[in-house]
Amino acid sequence: MLGNDIVDLNLAKIQSNWRRKNYLSKIFTEDEQLLILSAKNPDVMVWLLWSMKESAYKIYNRRTGIRSFAPKSLKCTIHSDLYGEVNIEGSTYFTKSDLKTRFVHSIATPNYRMLEEIRISIYEAPYNLFDYKSTKPGCVSHHGRYLALVTQVF
Amino acid sequence: MTEQEIIDELKTIIIPYTEEKTALENIGTHTDFIKDLKINSANLVDIVLDIEEKFNITIDNDSMAKMLTVKATIEVIESKLQANAG
Repeated sequence: MLGNDIVDLNLAKIQSNWRRKNYLSKIFTEDEQLLILSAKNPDVMVWLLWSMKESAYKIYNRRTGIRSFAPKSLKCTIHSDLYGEVNIEGSTYFTKSDLKTRFVHSIATPNYRMLEEIRISIYEAPYNLFDYKSTKPGCVSHHGRYLALVTQVF
Repeated sequence: MTEQEIIDELKTIIIPYTEEKTALENIGTHTDFIKDLKINSANLVDIVLDIEEKFNITIDNDSMAKMLTVKATIEVIESKLQANAG
Protein backbone atom coordinates (compact mmCIF):
# COMPACT_ATOMS: atom_id res chain seq x y z
CA MET A 1 0.00 0.00 0.00
CA LEU A 2 1.23 3.46 -0.91
CA GLY A 3 0.54 7.01 0.11
CA ASN A 4 1.74 10.28 -1.33
CA ASP A 5 1.19 13.99 -0.93
CA ILE A 6 2.34 17.00 -2.90
CA VAL A 7 2.35 20.61 -1.71
CA ASP A 8 2.60 23.46 -4.20
CA LEU A 9 4.69 25.88 -2.13
CA ASN A 10 3.41 28.99 -3.93
CA LEU A 11 -0.19 28.03 -3.36
CA ALA A 12 0.50 27.01 0.25
CA LYS A 13 1.90 30.48 0.88
CA ILE A 14 -1.37 32.05 -0.32
CA GLN A 15 -3.75 29.44 1.16
CA SER A 16 -2.33 29.03 4.64
CA ASN A 17 -0.86 31.32 7.23
CA TRP A 18 0.82 28.86 9.58
CA ARG A 19 2.13 31.75 11.67
CA ARG A 20 -1.41 32.39 12.82
CA LYS A 21 -1.84 32.07 16.60
CA ASN A 22 -2.43 28.44 17.73
CA TYR A 23 -2.12 27.07 14.19
CA LEU A 24 1.07 25.07 14.73
CA SER A 25 -0.04 23.61 18.06
CA LYS A 26 -3.19 22.16 16.48
CA ILE A 27 -1.20 20.22 13.89
CA PHE A 28 2.29 19.56 15.17
CA THR A 29 3.72 17.80 18.21
CA GLU A 30 6.13 19.66 20.50
CA ASP A 31 9.09 17.98 18.78
CA GLU A 32 7.81 18.93 15.33
CA GLN A 33 7.24 22.53 16.41
CA LEU A 34 10.85 22.66 17.62
CA LEU A 35 12.01 21.35 14.24
CA ILE A 36 10.00 24.08 12.48
CA LEU A 37 11.10 26.94 14.69
CA SER A 38 14.76 25.97 14.48
CA ALA A 39 14.75 25.25 10.73
CA LYS A 40 16.72 27.41 8.31
CA ASN A 41 13.59 27.60 6.20
CA PRO A 42 10.55 27.19 8.47
CA ASP A 43 8.07 27.41 5.56
CA VAL A 44 9.57 24.38 3.88
CA MET A 45 9.76 22.47 7.17
CA VAL A 46 6.05 23.08 7.83
CA TRP A 47 5.05 21.65 4.46
CA LEU A 48 7.60 18.85 4.56
CA LEU A 49 6.15 17.60 7.87
CA TRP A 50 2.62 18.18 6.60
CA SER A 51 3.19 16.13 3.44
CA MET A 52 4.71 13.31 5.52
CA LYS A 53 1.61 13.26 7.73
CA GLU A 54 -0.80 13.39 4.79
CA SER A 55 0.95 10.63 2.86
CA ALA A 56 0.94 8.36 5.94
CA TYR A 57 -2.68 9.23 6.75
CA LYS A 58 -3.77 8.11 3.27
CA ILE A 59 -2.50 4.59 4.00
CA TYR A 60 -3.78 4.57 7.59
CA ASN A 61 -7.24 5.67 6.39
CA ARG A 62 -7.46 2.96 3.72
CA ARG A 63 -6.12 0.26 6.04
CA THR A 64 -8.32 0.98 9.02
CA GLY A 65 -11.32 2.69 7.41
CA ILE A 66 -10.93 5.38 10.07
CA ARG A 67 -11.57 8.89 8.86
CA SER A 68 -10.51 11.62 11.26
CA PHE A 69 -8.82 14.98 11.35
CA ALA A 70 -6.11 14.38 13.90
CA PRO A 71 -2.85 15.63 12.37
CA LYS A 72 -1.16 15.77 15.77
CA SER A 73 -1.65 12.03 16.30
CA LEU A 74 0.57 11.41 13.26
CA LYS A 75 4.02 11.82 14.76
CA CYS A 76 6.90 12.52 12.39
CA THR A 77 10.57 11.75 12.78
CA ILE A 78 13.02 12.89 10.13
CA HIS A 79 16.15 10.81 9.61
CA SER A 80 18.86 11.70 7.11
CA ASP A 81 18.52 12.41 3.40
CA LEU A 82 14.81 13.20 3.70
CA TYR A 83 13.97 9.70 4.87
CA GLY A 84 11.61 9.65 7.78
CA GLU A 85 8.83 7.86 9.57
CA VAL A 86 5.36 8.65 10.80
CA ASN A 87 3.86 6.86 13.79
CA ILE A 88 0.16 6.63 14.45
CA GLU A 89 -1.63 4.44 16.99
CA GLY A 90 1.24 1.94 17.12
CA SER A 91 1.71 1.69 13.34
CA THR A 92 4.78 2.99 11.57
CA TYR A 93 4.85 4.29 8.01
CA PHE A 94 8.16 4.98 6.32
CA THR A 95 8.52 8.09 4.23
CA LYS A 96 10.84 9.60 1.69
CA SER A 97 10.47 13.19 0.57
CA ASP A 98 11.61 15.35 -2.28
CA LEU A 99 12.24 19.07 -1.78
CA LYS A 100 12.21 21.34 -4.78
CA THR A 101 12.08 25.13 -4.96
CA ARG A 102 8.42 25.04 -5.91
CA PHE A 103 7.03 21.90 -4.33
CA VAL A 104 7.43 19.30 -1.60
CA HIS A 105 6.46 15.69 -2.28
CA SER A 106 6.39 12.78 0.15
CA ILE A 107 5.75 9.09 -0.32
CA ALA A 108 4.82 6.65 2.43
CA THR A 109 4.71 2.89 2.77
CA PRO A 110 4.33 0.45 5.68
CA ASN A 111 7.40 -1.45 4.48
CA TYR A 112 10.77 0.33 4.52
CA ARG A 113 12.23 -1.61 1.58
CA MET A 114 9.29 -0.70 -0.63
CA LEU A 115 10.40 2.95 -0.61
CA GLU A 116 12.90 2.11 -3.32
CA GLU A 117 10.31 0.28 -5.41
CA ILE A 118 8.01 3.20 -6.10
CA ARG A 119 7.74 4.99 -9.40
CA ILE A 120 6.95 8.67 -8.94
CA SER A 121 5.50 10.81 -11.74
CA ILE A 122 5.05 14.52 -11.13
CA TYR A 123 3.31 16.75 -13.67
CA GLU A 124 3.31 20.53 -13.60
CA ALA A 125 0.46 22.53 -15.13
CA PRO A 126 -0.26 23.18 -17.88
CA TYR A 127 -0.11 19.45 -18.53
CA ASN A 128 -2.25 17.60 -21.01
CA LEU A 129 -5.21 16.22 -19.19
CA PHE A 130 -4.93 12.52 -19.56
CA ASP A 131 -6.78 9.61 -18.12
CA TYR A 132 -4.28 8.95 -15.34
CA LYS A 133 -6.72 6.71 -13.49
CA SER A 134 -6.35 4.14 -16.27
CA THR A 135 -2.67 3.77 -15.28
CA LYS A 136 -4.00 2.49 -11.91
CA PRO A 137 -1.71 4.55 -9.67
CA GLY A 138 -1.25 3.39 -6.07
CA CYS A 139 -2.00 6.88 -4.86
CA VAL A 140 -2.72 10.30 -6.35
CA SER A 141 -2.12 13.76 -4.96
CA HIS A 142 -3.09 17.05 -6.49
CA HIS A 143 -2.34 20.55 -5.23
CA GLY A 144 -2.13 23.83 -7.12
CA ARG A 145 -0.09 23.38 -10.29
CA TYR A 146 1.01 19.85 -9.46
CA LEU A 147 -0.27 16.34 -9.96
CA ALA A 148 1.74 13.49 -8.43
CA LEU A 149 1.17 9.79 -9.10
CA VAL A 150 2.92 6.91 -7.40
CA THR A 151 2.94 3.32 -8.54
CA GLN A 152 4.54 0.28 -7.03
CA VAL A 153 7.14 -1.31 -9.30
CA PHE A 154 7.44 -5.06 -8.95
CA MET B 1 -28.30 29.01 19.89
CA THR B 2 -30.33 26.99 17.40
CA GLU B 3 -28.84 24.53 14.95
CA GLN B 4 -29.74 26.87 12.07
CA GLU B 5 -27.97 29.79 13.75
CA ILE B 6 -24.83 27.68 14.12
CA ILE B 7 -25.05 26.61 10.47
CA ASP B 8 -25.37 30.26 9.40
CA GLU B 9 -22.26 31.18 11.39
CA LEU B 10 -20.37 28.22 9.91
CA LYS B 11 -21.37 29.27 6.41
CA THR B 12 -19.83 32.73 6.94
CA ILE B 13 -16.66 31.21 8.40
CA ILE B 14 -16.24 28.79 5.49
CA ILE B 15 -16.64 31.30 2.61
CA PRO B 16 -12.91 32.11 2.20
CA TYR B 17 -11.90 28.42 2.16
CA THR B 18 -14.12 26.95 -0.55
CA GLU B 19 -14.70 27.50 -4.22
CA GLU B 20 -17.73 25.22 -4.23
CA LYS B 21 -20.22 28.07 -4.02
CA THR B 22 -23.27 25.95 -4.85
CA ALA B 23 -22.41 23.34 -2.23
CA LEU B 24 -21.87 26.13 0.30
CA GLU B 25 -25.20 27.71 -0.63
CA ASN B 26 -26.88 24.35 0.08
CA ILE B 27 -24.94 23.65 3.27
CA GLY B 28 -26.75 21.38 5.73
CA THR B 29 -25.99 18.98 8.53
CA HIS B 30 -24.78 16.29 6.12
CA THR B 31 -22.32 18.53 4.27
CA ASP B 32 -18.80 17.09 4.34
CA PHE B 33 -16.02 19.72 4.43
CA ILE B 34 -13.62 17.75 2.26
CA LYS B 35 -15.90 15.71 -0.01
CA ASP B 36 -18.58 18.34 -0.67
CA LEU B 37 -16.85 21.67 -0.11
CA LYS B 38 -13.41 20.48 -1.33
CA ILE B 39 -11.72 22.30 1.51
CA ASN B 40 -7.96 21.86 1.65
CA SER B 41 -7.13 19.90 4.80
CA ALA B 42 -4.58 22.52 5.89
CA ASN B 43 -7.47 25.02 5.87
CA LEU B 44 -9.58 22.81 8.15
CA VAL B 45 -7.29 24.04 10.92
CA ASP B 46 -8.20 27.62 10.02
CA ILE B 47 -11.86 26.76 10.24
CA VAL B 48 -11.36 25.18 13.68
CA LEU B 49 -9.46 28.30 14.84
CA ASP B 50 -12.15 30.59 13.40
CA ILE B 51 -14.83 28.58 15.23
CA GLU B 52 -12.90 28.89 18.50
CA GLU B 53 -12.73 32.66 18.10
CA LYS B 54 -16.31 33.12 16.90
CA PHE B 55 -17.94 30.98 19.59
CA ASN B 56 -15.36 31.72 22.28
CA ILE B 57 -14.67 28.03 22.94
CA THR B 58 -11.56 25.84 23.03
CA ILE B 59 -11.57 22.76 20.82
CA ASP B 60 -9.39 19.90 22.03
CA ASN B 61 -7.68 17.48 19.64
CA ASP B 62 -10.18 14.65 20.16
CA SER B 63 -13.04 16.96 19.24
CA MET B 64 -11.19 18.37 16.25
CA ALA B 65 -10.65 14.82 14.97
CA LYS B 66 -14.40 14.48 14.43
CA MET B 67 -14.91 17.80 12.65
CA LEU B 68 -15.18 16.59 9.07
CA THR B 69 -18.90 17.24 8.64
CA VAL B 70 -21.25 20.04 9.59
CA LYS B 71 -23.22 17.64 11.81
CA ALA B 72 -20.18 16.60 13.86
CA THR B 73 -19.04 20.22 14.05
CA ILE B 74 -22.40 21.39 15.42
CA GLU B 75 -22.21 18.65 18.06
CA VAL B 76 -18.75 19.79 19.12
CA ILE B 77 -19.80 23.46 19.27
CA GLU B 78 -22.95 22.68 21.24
CA SER B 79 -21.13 20.54 23.80
CA LYS B 80 -18.42 23.20 24.30
CA LEU B 81 -21.01 25.98 24.65
CA GLN B 82 -22.86 23.89 27.22
CA ALA B 83 -19.65 23.27 29.15
CA ASN B 84 -19.00 27.04 29.15
CA ALA B 85 -22.51 27.77 30.38
CA GLY B 86 -22.33 25.10 33.09
